[in-house]
Amino acid sequence: MAKPTDLVQGTLDLLILKTIAREPKHGWAIAKRIQQISQEALQIQQGSLYPALHRLEQQAWIKAEWRPTGTGRMAKFYSLTRAGKKQLEKELASWVRLSTAINLVVQEN
Amino acid sequence: MPIWDKIRLRLRSLFRRAQVERELEAELRFHFDQLIEENISSGMSPDEARQAAQRLIGGLEQYKEECRDLRRVNFIEDLLQDVRYAIRSRAKNPAFTAVVVITLALGIGANTAIFSILHGVLLRPLDYPKPDQLMFLTAESPATGGTRNSLSAPEYTEFRQLNHSFAAIGAYATGGAAYTTSAVNLTAGDRPMRVRSIAVDAQLLRALGIQPEAGRFFSDEETSRWIGTLPPPIAMLSDELWRSVFAGRPLVGQKVEIEGRPHEIVGIMPRGADVMDNQTQVWLPLWLHPNIASQRGTHVLNVIGRLKDGVTAQVAQAELSGLLDNWGARVDTKEHVPTNHPVGAIDHTLQMRTLQDALVGNVSRAIWLLQVAVGFVLLIVCANLANMVLARAVSRRREFVLRAALGASRGRLLRQAITENAMLCGAGGVLGLGLAVAVVWGLLRTYGTNIPRTSQIGIDLPVLLVALGLSTGIALLFGLISLGLGGTSSMATALKEGGRGASGLGRNYARRGLLITQVAFAVMLVIGAALMVRTVYNLATIDAGFDRSRLVTFSLTMPMANSDPDTRAQAYRRVIDQLRSVPGVLGTTAMSGLPPNRPPDAIATPIENFTAADGRHSEIIDYYQLVMGDYFETMGIPIVAGRSFESTDNASSGKVIIVSETLARKIWPDQNPIGKRLRPPGGSFGATDDVWHTVIGVAKDVRQRGVEQLPGTELYVDLDQHGVSPPSMNVVIRTTLPPTALSPTIERIVREVDSELPVVSLRDMDSVFAESIRRPRILAQLLGVFAGLALLLAAIGTYGVLSYIVTERRREIGIRLALGATRSHVLRQIMNQGLQVTALGVIIGLAGTLAMNRLLTSLLFGVQATDIVTIAFVIATITAVAVVASLLPAWRASRVNPNIVLREE
Repeated sequence: MAKPTDLVQGTLDLLILKTIAREPKHGWAIAKRIQQISQEALQIQQGSLYPALHRLEQQAWIKAEWRPTGTGRMAKFYSLTRAGKKQLEKELASWVRLSTAINLVVQEN
Repeated sequence: MPIWDKIRLRLRSLFRRAQVERELEAELRFHFDQLIEENISSGMSPDEARQAAQRLIGGLEQYKEECRDLRRVNFIEDLLQDVRYAIRSRAKNPAFTAVVVITLALGIGANTAIFSILHGVLLRPLDYPKPDQLMFLTAESPATGGTRNSLSAPEYTEFRQLNHSFAAIGAYATGGAAYTTSAVNLTAGDRPMRVRSIAVDAQLLRALGIQPEAGRFFSDEETSRWIGTLPPPIAMLSDELWRSVFAGRPLVGQKVEIEGRPHEIVGIMPRGADVMDNQTQVWLPLWLHPNIASQRGTHVLNVIGRLKDGVTAQVAQAELSGLLDNWGARVDTKEHVPTNHPVGAIDHTLQMRTLQDALVGNVSRAIWLLQVAVGFVLLIVCANLANMVLARAVSRRREFVLRAALGASRGRLLRQAITENAMLCGAGGVLGLGLAVAVVWGLLRTYGTNIPRTSQIGIDLPVLLVALGLSTGIALLFGLISLGLGGTSSMATALKEGGRGASGLGRNYARRGLLITQVAFAVMLVIGAALMVRTVYNLATIDAGFDRSRLVTFSLTMPMANSDPDTRAQAYRRVIDQLRSVPGVLGTTAMSGLPPNRPPDAIATPIENFTAADGRHSEIIDYYQLVMGDYFETMGIPIVAGRSFESTDNASSGKVIIVSETLARKIWPDQNPIGKRLRPPGGSFGATDDVWHTVIGVAKDVRQRGVEQLPGTELYVDLDQHGVSPPSMNVVIRTTLPPTALSPTIERIVREVDSELPVVSLRDMDSVFAESIRRPRILAQLLGVFAGLALLLAAIGTYGVLSYIVTERRREIGIRLALGATRSHVLRQIMNQGLQVTALGVIIGLAGTLAMNRLLTSLLFGVQATDIVTIAFVIATITAVAVVASLLPAWRASRVNPNIVLREE
């Protein structure tokens, strides 16, 4: 199981921001979505997910709202703020830079 | 705005804590439930699903704490928690809390109050632009002990021309032979009043660098042409007088009656403008009688200069010193010039000090002494509280160790300890500040006239910062003490010892050390106070040279404009004669300067067949006492040789004079002064010519300029014989009646003579004396209060420490009693402990007193700083206090019931 430390440092924030970029999601859905898209490679534990969400909220990159889910139960939905969108762009750019660089190194013959 | 969002979130976490917690709980619960659902849908039974979910999730609580930490308001929450906890635990122990807060309030309050005086009087720069450039010049005659005298008019003019260091030099006069008075009669509407005045020249105002609020200053033309018989009728008003008496209405260019003459108001001074704390209400142009203005021997002007930009005080001093080397040669005269080497009695030199130094000069030592004294009180307070905090920390050690065992971090415990103490110190600080405000207000109200620069004294920002700093410092210190004790020893020991508390040797040494410190400081304070009390006693009982019992005095000033010296004399004559016929009045006289606190005259007086050390035939006489009526009989001054003035003298044409013992001894040593002749300048007392006067008697010395000052040379001029009088006279009546009973009669008689004359300063001579020794008395009273406080605190400290030791050793005492020790033995043993500590404290305190000797000596009078009687008295007092403080704990120890104590185990 992938522990948060297995993730490249700081990438959890990027994953969360990216995941909720299109539409607001609650914590469970965010974890599931990341798991699904990564084809089960990334499993976000509750112990890292919620502190991360609260940290992003404190940074005012994401904002929370209580809304009913499909089953009618209330859940806390997170969505990007304007500052969050900017932050996502920044983090995406730096991720691309970093991953390209790493690829160059590891793929060198 | 992200920033705003962040703040909103923080505030929400802080103030809607319950809701935020509920939301966190609900959010995690939702996740948990989703997990269970997922497990069920993958085929587990509900129980299995729940267990699996729980395993996966682990400690829910831990996540919650992590999320809470992210809110970043934990430290505030902890603080609030600490504060709540502190309030609860303090409220449980109100006596302890009250003692701590009150003691702290006294310590901080006294320090803040004295510091606000120290700051306002000594530290704060004077209220002029670039105050460091302002210098005050004085004439000093080391041989006769004459210090801080004025300069003569020629000296002043010459110095202005000779020097190159000063940008502007000006002069002022507030009394004496300058023919100005420090107060004038002013009529506002139909209301006659007496206001404080000063005579200044235009250069002085330039030197001070102040601008008029309205109108203009005096011009050079108006203040340096000393001709005619009266100064030009112009004046400036202080802002305060203008607003209070004239309601701030436009006044410049209008006439106001001053000393019976209409004066044109040329300007209004800015708010708070003053010279040397004169509390000036009316500014008049400086004017000297042409005779006085040319006399080198008559010192009448106070001189203030402003240094040029870039010129330091040292440079100016060096230049002055150079001028003094050959002043006579530079101005082409041999007569009474200032010199660098004043050897003879007549010689004088010029001295320069900063204006601030000149203004606060002799008070600064007293204020520093008080600051040191309250500093000691604060140290005693701290030592006392440290002991209390120690005792409390020991009894709370279990609590702290337990909390550490349960996972509280050391930092968290320290924070709590500091929070608790900060609350105590904060409360003490706030209370202390209130106390300081009250004390400063009271001091200024009671002693305002005896403290310089009172307008600058107040609780302002620097003072507040000092109070805040004191409180915070103490809080930190005690927080560390209580934690240091709670944390150092091992957890296991503390828990094992149970509630008994530790009886570690080291801690008792610390406790005794603190107690010794308290006693030592208390000893120093009590010795200081005792010495000041003896000083005041010595000053109060000193023989000033006249009999001051049953004397009533008041002063009168005749307007210069409405009267010449002759009519003034007649008016005074009538007042004196009518007073003499009042029943209960035994004698009446009038004099120019009221002893024991009058300004010196310093008038050069030619003496027949006399040659001074410098070859001149005259000598400077310190005091001219111009008298009317039965002066020596009324004042009770013995004539030691020759005779007193008699009414037959008035008819005779040969003028007569009486001299003081000091004058006779100085001018005619080993000769009979009776029959010698002097020629006092007539201008100095209102006569037209200088004539030779024959000495007919020698009077006992009278202390003129402060009871602590040695008498100077003095001569007595009989105004009755000359038929003239200066404008201002002090009337003195020897009577069996108190001033209040005499007051209506005096008012009526003065009104009959001149209905526009106000009677000023009507009081008995005892209050004049009390006024003259008021400063040492304030010092003695304040030091007395501080010493009393120190004694009380030291007593509480001794009592507290001994009580603690007794409680700690109850078991041991019980066993010893059970084994046959007598109760008196136990009593003696505990008493001994208290007295040993006191003895050590006394020894250290005495050593400290010796070290402080220098600060104290110059403030004492008639008693040495090492006075054996005082020290013995102080040791006796301290010992008595220690005995009383030790008695109760010792008695309690001796009453310990072995049965009960041993059964408790």
